[in-house]
Amino acid sequence: MQGSPRPYANPYLAGFGLGLVLLAAFVLMGRGLGASAAFSALAAVIVEWISPGHAAANPFFSRYLGPGGGLEEWLVWEVAGVFVGGLVSGLLGNRVRPAVERGPRVGVPVRLVLAFLGGLFMGVGAKIAGGCTSGQALTGGALLNVGSWVTMICIFGGAYALAWLLRKEWT
Amino acid sequence: MNAPFYKFDVFGDTAALGVAFAIGLGMGWFLERAGFGSATKLAKQFYFRDLAVLKVMFTAIVTAMVGLFLAAQLGWVDLSLMYLQPTVLWANVVGGLLLGVGFIIGGLCPGTSVVSVATGRIDAFLFVMGVLASQFLVGEAWPLFAGISEAGEMGQITLPGLLGVPYGLVVLAVVLMAAGAFVAAEWAEVRFGGVDRAAQPLLGAGWRARNAPRVLLASLAGLALLGMAGGDPYRGPRVVIDERELALLIQKEADHVTVDDLATWIVEGRMEVRLIDLRHPAAYAAGTIPGAENVPLADLPAAEIEPGERVVLFSQGQTHAAQAWMLLRARGMRNTYSLLGGMDEWNDRILFPELPAEPPPDQAAEVERRRALALRFGGSPRVEAAAGAPVAVPLPAAMSPPAGVAPPAAPIPTAAPVKKKKKREGC
Repeated sequence: MQGSPRPYANPYLAGFGLGLVLLAAFVLMGRGLGASAAFSALAAVIVEWISPGHAAANPFFSRYLGPGGGLEEWLVWEVAGVFVGGLVSGLLGNRVRPAVERGPRVGVPVRLVLAFLGGLFMGVGAKIAGGCTSGQALTGGALLNVGSWVTMICIFGGAYALAWLLRKEWT
Repeated sequence: MNAPFYKFDVFGDTAALGVAFAIGLGMGWFLERAGFGSATKLAKQFYFRDLAVLKVMFTAIVTAMVGLFLAAQLGWVDLSLMYLQPTVLWANVVGGLLLGVGFIIGGLCPGTSVVSVATGRIDAFLFVMGVLASQFLVGEAWPLFAGISEAGEMGQITLPGLLGVPYGLVVLAVVLMAAGAFVAAEWAEVRFGGVDRAAQPLLGAGWRARNAPRVLLASLAGLALLGMAGGDPYRGPRVVIDERELALLIQKEADHVTVDDLATWIVEGRMEVRLIDLRHPAAYAAGTIPGAENVPLADLPAAEIEPGERVVLFSQGQTHAAQAWMLLRARGMRNTYSLLGGMDEWNDRILFPELPAEPPPDQAAEVERRRALALRFGGSPRVEAAAGAPVAVPLPAAMSPPAGVAPPAAPIPTAAPVKKKKKREGC
């Protein structure tokens, strides 16, 4: 944690690398990247742990359980990899440090509440849209999937529409 | 090359989880390198100050898109086997807007939040908790969300399919659009973000630094143009079946033959029958029905079969054969049958039938016929004692080797009695 963090990579180079990872997923698995369904599977596992009957009776949770679900869900392992990959890259770049990311005009408690709220919105949005920025925008974008491009445009649209209202959080 | 490898069964489900972890490693690495572990950096996208989100995302999209397109055109990857999330128009619109709202409020998205937590960000931890909490919410209130998440179903559809234009043209258009967006992004960062390009060159100073993105985009555009010469990359065979016709055929049991029929056909030799063993080559090598050729199920779509040819398909049980029957019927093969009961039934009824030791006189002829049939195909009947319990007789390794088109007339005596294993097919 000593010394200054190394600068980030050139975005085009990072994007090229990320694109190759996505291509590898296509060639190896016949599917792309994702993230949000890992959270759904994790939630389903927790519900099942607390009350197996309740989880089995629920049409949403039960979808993420059973063979190939729960902790055997592909995206759970992928997201575990994301965590480790991010950690290794951060350590090598001297960028791992406990911090609360916020704009200069917002306090820590407000930022933390907003972060939780943002997660809530994104989690609900991802389940309605059929994926998040990774599964829909990135993966479906590369597959020229109509729904993914609609989702991608709406993600940017929604964020830009609210950006002015939330300027105090970030600028 | 048969890709996607997982779909061609090159590796199994357990290995797939290892692949998932490795792919995640790469994803996490590049997201962190790009600075996406930082919510403040991500949020700057929406104030036109730092457009790394747009640059990284679109570079990744065009890279993977052109790479996949070319691989498909070269025949390395079957694009029609790629999982395509169905388009649900209103769900995509509403869900997308909510994702956008969450993005600007939280400054992260589910993928980047994991990287952000990994690099110690406390706000990201709260974000992750929010995403997790939302899943309990969605699950408990699923009826509320089920309606909207199904509103505007359009099925699996791509932009080229929707617009009715060649796939390669859309690929090229997206590359050019990305190039335009990058030029605008560079301009916006200078204009709104106060970025001094002279002081902060993209990759450092020099020609390579300035031009690396240009070279990449120009190459991708060139490759897309090249790929356009290959026509439509979706090459998966598409067929239309008459559901009613097939349902009626199945109902009147005109879709299969029994092992007795097949054995009679072979013995009498009156009919040209092409026998196809759909099992794995190892199972085929261990023993099959005389005269059968091996076409593992996954190779069936590529097998050359004449439309009028009489074909009998068999597997270990009968499920795969029945399913293969559907595939061939869908391709217009009108004279195909599946073998009822498959190899299991062939072994039970033809090779090793249970026959009474002292049959009643009216059944003697039939019993003798079955005994002869078993011997003819190299099996041996199991003799039932008068009390009804089968007497254990040493069974010869009578499963015919695949090469032997003509079955031996007499059972092959072998030293080691084969214990008949009844392996029922799980699938």
